[in-house]
Formats: sequence, C-alpha cells, structure tokens
Amino acid sequence: MTAVLLQSVSLWRRTQEELSYDLKRTILHVLERRYRRPPRRRVLHNISLQIERGEKVGIIGPNGSGKSTLLKLICGILTPTKGHVYVSGRIAPLIELGAGFDADITVADNIVYYGVMLGFSKKEMQGRIDPILDFAELAEYRNEPLKTLSSGMVTRLGFAIATEQRPEILILDEVLSVGDESFKIKCMQRIQDFWDHSSTIIVVSHDMTFIAAQCSRAVWLEHGEIVYAGPASQVTQLYLESVYGDQTTPLGNSHSLSSDAEVLGTSG
Amino acid sequence: MTKTEPQTPEIRPMENSKPSGQVRRRSRIGRIEGFTYQRWLDLTLILAMRALKVRYRGSILGIYWSLSNPLLMTLVYTAIFGTAFSSYYNNSIINYVLACFVGLTVLTYFSAATGQSLPSVVGNGSLLNKIKLPFSIFPCATIAANTFQFSVGTLPLLAVITAFNSHSVVNVVSLLAPTVALVLVACGVSFITSSLFVFFRDLPYIYDLIVFVIYMSSPTFYPAALIPVSVKPLIALNPIASIIECFRQIALSGQPPALHLLVLSLATGLSFFAIGVAIFAFLKTEFMDLL
Repeated sequence: MTAVLLQSVSLWRRTQEELSYDLKRTILHVLERRYRRPPRRRVLHNISLQIERGEKVGIIGPNGSGKSTLLKLICGILTPTKGHVYVSGRIAPLIELGAGFDADITVADNIVYYGVMLGFSKKEMQGRIDPILDFAELAEYRNEPLKTLSSGMVTRLGFAIATEQRPEILILDEVLSVGDESFKIKCMQRIQDFWDHSSTIIVVSHDMTFIAAQCSRAVWLEHGEIVYAGPASQVTQLYLESVYGDQTTPLGNSHSLSSDAEVLGTSG
Repeated sequence: MTKTEPQTPEIRPMENSKPSGQVRRRSRIGRIEGFTYQRWLDLTLILAMRALKVRYRGSILGIYWSLSNPLLMTLVYTAIFGTAFSSYYNNSIINYVLACFVGLTVLTYFSAATGQSLPSVVGNGSLLNKIKLPFSIFPCATIAANTFQFSVGTLPLLAVITAFNSHSVVNVVSLLAPTVALVLVACGVSFITSSLFVFFRDLPYIYDLIVFVIYMSSPTFYPAALIPVSVKPLIALNPIASIIECFRQIALSGQPPALHLLVLSLATGLSFFAIGVAIFAFLKTEFMDLL
C-alpha cells in the first residue's frame, strides 16, 4: 500500500525580490517600460518517489537543496508546478513547530484552534485539551494567554498537539533537537512509538548517524534533484564521502555502490 | 539555475485518493479550494470566533462599543453641519441625524471589515506555511466576525428606526436585502485587497486613500442634492453609495421599499462578489511563493 507517491514533480517558485513587493514601484516600472515578469527559480526538478505505508524515509542534502520544500509538497502546502503528488492517510506535519499560534488567546483556545486547523473537529479537540497540556507539561498555563509562554514551551505545545493522535504519516523537519533535555526524551519516546507502530515517517535531518540508524531508506537531494535514493546506510555514506571528499571513494567512482542502491525514483 | 518559463500547474488529488495503481481523482464539485464545505465552514467559523474573542475579551457588551464610532461621528457632523443642511431634510435636524447615522454605520462596517481583511492572508502566512488550508477562510472569517457584530449591534437599531418611521413589517424585513448586498460588496473587496496585498505590500496606504474617496463620495453627512449633476455619474461607481441609499429609503422615507433600489444594490453586491472571487482565484496560485 503506497502512502506517498510523487510522479515527476517539478516546482518553480517566484524569487522573493523586492520589485514585486511594491505597487508604487511596479506602476512606475510599467510606465517607464522597465517592467519585466518576476523571475522564477526551479526549486525541485523531476522528483519521483514512492513511499510505502510504514516506511521510514530520510531526506538528506545540503542547505537549500529543497528538502523542506519537498516536505511542504507532500503536506500539500505547496502545489507542484508540474507532476502529481498523491497522499493517502492523515499527515501530522511537524514543520516549524510553534509558528502559527495566536499569542493573544489562551493556551486552551490555541489547542482547539490549532487542532481544527490540523483537521480535527472542534468537539474532538475540546476533549483533548487536558491530555495535550499534560504531555506538554503546561497544565498550569491552561487559561493564560499564549504570549506568557516561552518559545521552548510553545514548541512543546506544537509538538504535543500535532502528535496527540498517532498520525498515519509523520513529517519531521529537524524538530528532534528542540526542547530541554527531559522533554527531548519524551518527544523521542513518542516518535519512537510512532516508529514502532508502522506509521509512515518522512524525516529531514543533517544527522547522518540518525538517518542511517533509524531510516530504512534515504533520499539525497541536491539543487532540487534526487542524486541518490536507496538504503539509508549506503546513501548517507555516499553523501558523507562527497561532502568530505574522501579520496578512496570519490563520488565519480562509486558506480558500483549506486548500482547496488535500490533506486526509488520511478519515472513517469 | 534561473529559468523564466513556468509550466502549467495541474490539478492534484489529495486526501483520500488511493495512490497505488488506481488513482482516483476527486470531483471539484461540492468543494471550496479542495476542502469540503463542512471543513471550510468549520475553519472559517473558528477563525471568526477567535477574532471576536480577541476583540471583546468575554464581554458581550463590547459588541455595542462598535456603535460608538458612528454615533460620535454623527454627533460631530450634526453639531457642525446640522443647522446648515437641515433645510434639505424637511427642516428637521432629527432627519439629518438619522440619515447621517444610517450612512455612517454602513461605512463603518465596510471600512472595518475590508480594512481587517486586507492583511488577513499575509498575516497568516506562517500558519499557511505549516498546514494546508484554504486561503479564502481568512478574509471570509474577518467578514463573518464583522457581519456578526453588525447584525447584533447595528441592525437591531436600524430595525427600530425603520419600524418607527414606516410602521411596516415589510420595510423592517427588507432591510436584509441591502445588508446582504453590503456583505457581498465587502466580501468581494476583501478578496481583492487581501490577495493583492500578498504581492504589493504598500497596498494599505493606497487602500486608505480609496476608503477615503468612498467615504467622501457617499452622501452621508451632506445631502446628495449638493452633488453637481456632472459629477453624479462618477458617484454611481461607488458601490456603497447605492447601498446607503437603499438603506435610507427603507429606513427613513416611510415609503414601501423601492424595488429598483433593492435590485440595484443586490446587483452591485453580486457583481463585486463575483469580481472578487475571480481575482482571488486567479492570484492564489502564487500566494505561497511570497508568504
């Protein structure tokens, strides 16, 4: 059973340059005949990926290679310019935890509000306020406005809400390192529980040891394209070799390894 | 790396589509931006409730606070222009006060609702970057919150004025028509401004100016008879002016509702709504690049 399927997905995005942000300047540029269409940049190119239910897939690559963008495509936040994204099952997106809350309303209201945004009903969420507060260890802040919480507490709350119900697909974007030590252990336990209970997990991380140990497969992205996809240990090894320029196995000579790697990309 | 020509986007089935082999495309009928009506409504309502909660902090009387603005302005206008203009209102200051107040409540609603909607999509950019949500819920929730406030605060007062002047249930009930038209215009304008604000971040300054033009060109604190005939066609472009006229005719004239005014204001409302929806739908595909 396939949980996530990407069919030759490409994404072009507008570059956030200053010109397009200003009506006055746009009008003046049109009048001076200096206006040009805002440029677009190719962020992802021809990504094909099939993730089966229960698989744990790590996404690796340098900064700006499109890892987080790929997660946003899978979450449905971004729409591909070309190609298709198919997702089956409820997604818990753990991206930028702590963003998107309303600082002016109470913690309890934020839980309900955020839960409804995530796709639960209001009634459901009202019954979940207490377990969520318990997990986040914020019970005494229940009726305080959210702005009284520290940023670490807000992150804890975000994690607790998003993971309150075991998701079918869990999307992790480097969130494993947030919170204080004791909470980190709690997060890891909960994620481990998802890990053990056949949730599909897609994780972006720079921690190669973690990816190699915890994921069954890994996808190496660079400049928005898949460089290698295959067993996690092999892909992470190849990636590290390319980064550190290991003389014994430079990337160009590693054909034997790449042919061993089960290629995830399915064309078309 | 930088190439210019983007490809055409394709419709993408999500949620419960079965990906393995038999890919089922979801019908777009019965959905708003890919969400079911029920989910769209849930989201809009919770956002509207949140807005009201933040605004009134648990005090229901806070809703009546929204009346203080038009009341105070009516007072000021009456003090300054009341005597001078009362000859246009059958030499009655009371008539001037009522005409002024009815016009100002409509304008207050319009400028508050559209002004708060303008930054609504951009303001929720961080949320939109985390969770897949329909964009339209943000301006719609602002409109819903303001409409609730209007219905609870202003509308009963207008109903009392209408009942007092016309002694007719028909007039009181037909107040709903210009109200619907007003909400539709506000919705349409909000769709336009909230989507344009994503691309043009200097829009609030320009929009303030537009609101001022609408404010001055609606005959609220001055009689419409003062407007020179040559300028009148331009005033007709102001969507709020016709709605105010409709409200006044129903509430103050003592006559049965004039059908042509009802039709005109509803038509204005529907056309603004349609234009707004079209612009929003056209621009929303690029929102995420700039949020």
